[in-house]
Amino acid sequence: MKKIVIAFIVVSSLFLLNTTANAQCKQQLVYQCATSNNKAIYLRDFNAKLKKTRPNKPPAVARFSVVLNKGTNYRFNLCNMKGFEGRSVLTLYDPKRVHGSTYNKSTDRDWKYLDFICQKSGVYFVSIKWKKGKDDKKGCAVGIMSFVGKNK
Amino acid sequence: MIRKLLVVLFFASILVACQTSTAPEEDISQEDLDSVATGVLQISDEAMGDIVQSFSNPVEMAALMKDAGVKYSEKYLTPTDYADNYNTNFKKALGLGVLSADLGYLNIYNKTATTVSYLTVIKRLSDALKIGQFFDFSTLKRFATNNENLDSLLLLSVSSFNEMDAYLRETNRSNLSMLIVTGVWVEGLYLATQVVKNDYQKEIADRIGEQKIILNDMILILQNYQQDPSFARLLENLNDLKQSFQKVEITVEYGEPESVERDGMLMIIQNTKSVVHLSRETLNELILKTEKFRNTITQQ
Repeated sequence: MKKIVIAFIVVSSLFLLNTTANAQCKQQLVYQCATSNNKAIYLRDFNAKLKKTRPNKPPAVARFSVVLNKGTNYRFNLCNMKGFEGRSVLTLYDPKRVHGSTYNKSTDRDWKYLDFICQKSGVYFVSIKWKKGKDDKKGCAVGIMSFVGKNK
Repeated sequence: MIRKLLVVLFFASILVACQTSTAPEEDISQEDLDSVATGVLQISDEAMGDIVQSFSNPVEMAALMKDAGVKYSEKYLTPTDYADNYNTNFKKALGLGVLSADLGYLNIYNKTATTVSYLTVIKRLSDALKIGQFFDFSTLKRFATNNENLDSLLLLSVSSFNEMDAYLRETNRSNLSMLIVTGVWVEGLYLATQVVKNDYQKEIADRIGEQKIILNDMILILQNYQQDPSFARLLENLNDLKQSFQKVEITVEYGEPESVERDGMLMIIQNTKSVVHLSRETLNELILKTEKFRNTITQQ
């Protein structure tokens, strides 16, 4: 009986740790990410909890919609939890085209920020997903959208 | 013994697998649920959350105004003592949205002395709606009082607002979330219309005209709650605004985007442009209607 109680406590603790880790992941990353956008004004965060990719399945993707306004320079940057640096990618798109991404696949290079000078107001989408080959663990990433200023 | 251990581990694993959100685990009793209608949703909660979250932001309109060189004016703000009359959850949620937009405006213009009184009222309203736990009032007040860490003050204010909004939707109180968002939107529109009323600026007038896109979606979602008389009255006002917004035409000119790489960042310049056609006559109509509507909801 004692062993059963101990086992239950251990697994319940794992559950609590997992929940806390997710919340902490978000809080820490939002602050870290929003203060590393070169003085742009934080507007919104995109919190992505990504599962590990199973064999022969596409990578998990977190999608968010966002209204962007004409004449504004928006900045998007992405932060990963500790130990997951450089594993994820943020992409901005609309139903017609992909506008940009924080990762250049052809050069295997991450951009510090993706700045988007919006000229057409409307609904856009942000996706966050694991890069191919870096999707063997579950984890979290946070994307930040900030206001840089008007398009001068 | 091993079998018993496996059984316990099995159920505990289910416990771990069943967790779905990072929201605080808080019990909300039936009494705590809001007096406003919860409504029969015609679109899924997920789709609605997605739409709502992409609406208004409490600082974006103010940031645009400051960037355009608009001077700060305290007369645009909703007096905090109006909140004393917000005696239903409907009024509190709407008022919370309005005052959050004002807080964003104050933060953008670094008016920390006035910020504290807005923080105090926002804290009171959010506590009454049981979302005060997302508001780190003491830290925000310290930042504002000591005039320190103004970037963090802004960041913490906006992220608290975003978390409150997300939590309401996660706990099936999308009706309140929608009211808060509506409050933010109306106050943002009010600030912008007051600015162009006193000093016409094309880019702010364009931003006003573009609100047509958001208003249509907003009405669509609020219609889910129209059986509640308070929501029905709110919708009447929004539909009246919509009539004027229908005179705004938005056209699109297509062009190929350009990309520029600089200092480790990528800049995309969108060359497809939306063009807002908003006559002075329609703008004046929108200014008057917005003023009347905003005063109705803040002085309720």
